[in-house]
Amino acid sequence: MQLIDKLSILADAAKYDASCASSAAPKRSSEGKSGIGSSTGMGICHSYTPDGRCVSLLKILLTNFCLYDCQYCVNRRSSDVPRARFSPEEVVTLTLDFYRRNCVSGLFLSSGIIRSADYTMEQLVRVARLLREEHEFRGYIHLKTIPEADPALIEEAGRYADRLSVNIELPTQAGLQTLAPEKEMGSIRQAMQTIYTGQQTILNEPKAPRFTPAGQSTQMIVGADATDDSTLLHTAESLYGDFRLKRVYYSAFSPIPNSPKSVPLAAPPLLREHRLYQADFLLRGYGYRATELLQGPGDLALDIDPKLAWALEHREVFPLDLNRAEPAMIARIPGIGIRTTKRLIELRRQRRIRYEDLTRLRCVLAKARPFIITSDYHPRQAETSSVALREQLRDRPQPQQMALWA
Amino acid sequence: MIILDCEDRFDTWRQQARWLLSHQIDPDQVSWSVAQDADLFASDTHYPEQAGPFQARIPLALLELLQNAGQYCGDQRWSLLYEVLWRVSHGDRTAMLAGDKLGSELHRRLKQVSREAHHLHAFLRFVALPVSEEAEDLAAKAALLEMETLPEYVAWHEPAHDILRSASEHFIGRMGRHRWMIATPKDGVFYDGQQLIHQRECPPAWQALARNADDPHGQLWLTYYSHIFNPARLNPKVMQGHLPTRFWKNLPEGPLIPALISEARTGKQRDGQAKQIGERRGKVIKGNA
Repeated sequence: MQLIDKLSILADAAKYDASCASSAAPKRSSEGKSGIGSSTGMGICHSYTPDGRCVSLLKILLTNFCLYDCQYCVNRRSSDVPRARFSPEEVVTLTLDFYRRNCVSGLFLSSGIIRSADYTMEQLVRVARLLREEHEFRGYIHLKTIPEADPALIEEAGRYADRLSVNIELPTQAGLQTLAPEKEMGSIRQAMQTIYTGQQTILNEPKAPRFTPAGQSTQMIVGADATDDSTLLHTAESLYGDFRLKRVYYSAFSPIPNSPKSVPLAAPPLLREHRLYQADFLLRGYGYRATELLQGPGDLALDIDPKLAWALEHREVFPLDLNRAEPAMIARIPGIGIRTTKRLIELRRQRRIRYEDLTRLRCVLAKARPFIITSDYHPRQAETSSVALREQLRDRPQPQQMALWA
Repeated sequence: MIILDCEDRFDTWRQQARWLLSHQIDPDQVSWSVAQDADLFASDTHYPEQAGPFQARIPLALLELLQNAGQYCGDQRWSLLYEVLWRVSHGDRTAMLAGDKLGSELHRRLKQVSREAHHLHAFLRFVALPVSEEAEDLAAKAALLEMETLPEYVAWHEPAHDILRSASEHFIGRMGRHRWMIATPKDGVFYDGQQLIHQRECPPAWQALARNADDPHGQLWLTYYSHIFNPARLNPKVMQGHLPTRFWKNLPEGPLIPALISEARTGKQRDGQAKQIGERRGKVIKGNA
């Protein structure tokens, strides 16, 4: 099979993984050196596909032959898809070609499970080793980790890769049993632990070789089974806590060809995915706890964002005086982000904050207005009930998606 | 009114601004313009060549902000900077802050400039020049470029602001010892493996080389781009927000975009798979794990 044919099959097979980040790698440069590639710590999106997603890395599978039969996966063994397999050298060639063209900032390599978990993992590591050692490649490498692989292989992978990820896919053991019978929550967490231990080992050893400097991440599928947002967010929170994960990705389940009856054949729940990312951002960046966002079981609201939802449930905190409030509380005002918070703090050191300043700082005033006080503004809506406010502030339903799914 | 032309060079502007400030010349009294327009306005006030008595104290951070904002191409490019400088040097540091009316325009420009630098890092595409040629031919071709060597990679890019010189340094780290050249409608850079040469006027030979480079192996990237797209998630609006249409014409994948969108829209795509893959023969794998 021609390289280009393999590429078409193995890129098509890899698109269901949401992650394509090339950020958080240590600074590396090839200036005056043989070899190629750099990383600046900032991710670069070299293109965008018409689904609005960024193309930062060459994201492919080494092979889509797979012994597993995960129901949600287009590459499961019972799926009737064309199959292909790259040699490690072919992946290296493609990575370097795209990299020199400035089409990507590195490689994100994953694979179906062939022969055994160890064999598959060895192949992935081999690609990374070829790139780093034979070709002195200093761009970004993200390797998918096969949970059942020997920890020694995972450790080896961590020395070549900027990032490793172990996909949890479904956050409950019951979900895995039903849809991914070959997978085990225990081995997934064990692999995350191996990576975490590897990171901890070199933490205070400046001379030790780097180990996954861009951290580890995982992905959960949204909408393949009945798991609710509360379970997803609490799982995410515990993963951030237990293994210091850099990112949890949420992937709205996209219907797959020849879909088995066990998974839905419906349009991907993109808005739900969006709300989960917003909530996840509040966990990582704003200091919210999962229980603050969802107290009991259930899903996030779709018509309002999770920050607004929290504010509407905590009216006793608001309105907040922007000239006095703690920065952490200002960041909890709907429509005001971390960046604006910092700018407000800078500004109020120089002078009193006025309502007009918020326009210039490009706050989402429609959302912020009921929750703020400035030197010249007190909200009329302070007395409006949360129910009425929600009615004013909620997103209007989008025009219906065209009837592809009827 | 004093009319100045700094030829869009920051260092020249800086000298002029320093002189103006030393004479305490109010921002209302001065304007920057290109030379041919300068004749339209006549200056009725005359100032000595030497610096005046006022000694301004400028925070170092401001100088950096002004230098970056100076890359912005648009109305009042240099006048705005002088106004900021004037206010800060007279004790009003809010002019540097995004919450201030003037400062917010300064920060908008800074954002545009850094976004445009990022666009260069992201959306520029290098094409490899063919290598198998006689040494004499190579020397002759290099001479056409007024260079000693030929670049190995060339790119054509159309930035909206004057970011090329500073932003292209990024590729020194990225491309190692390789030689490369970036041509734009305005200026150009050439990295000869050791140093970065910036031409304020891009030589036409550079432009021609970058615009007409053949790319016989371009198909791989186009294949990848089409197949990593998930038609079940079609969302062209978000795409255009991140990848403004003005870049499409210089991106090899640009011409594919409309067809990918309309194919996904026609309703043939009920799942994430590309049509071409669905049409091929599949293979179920037998046996248990």
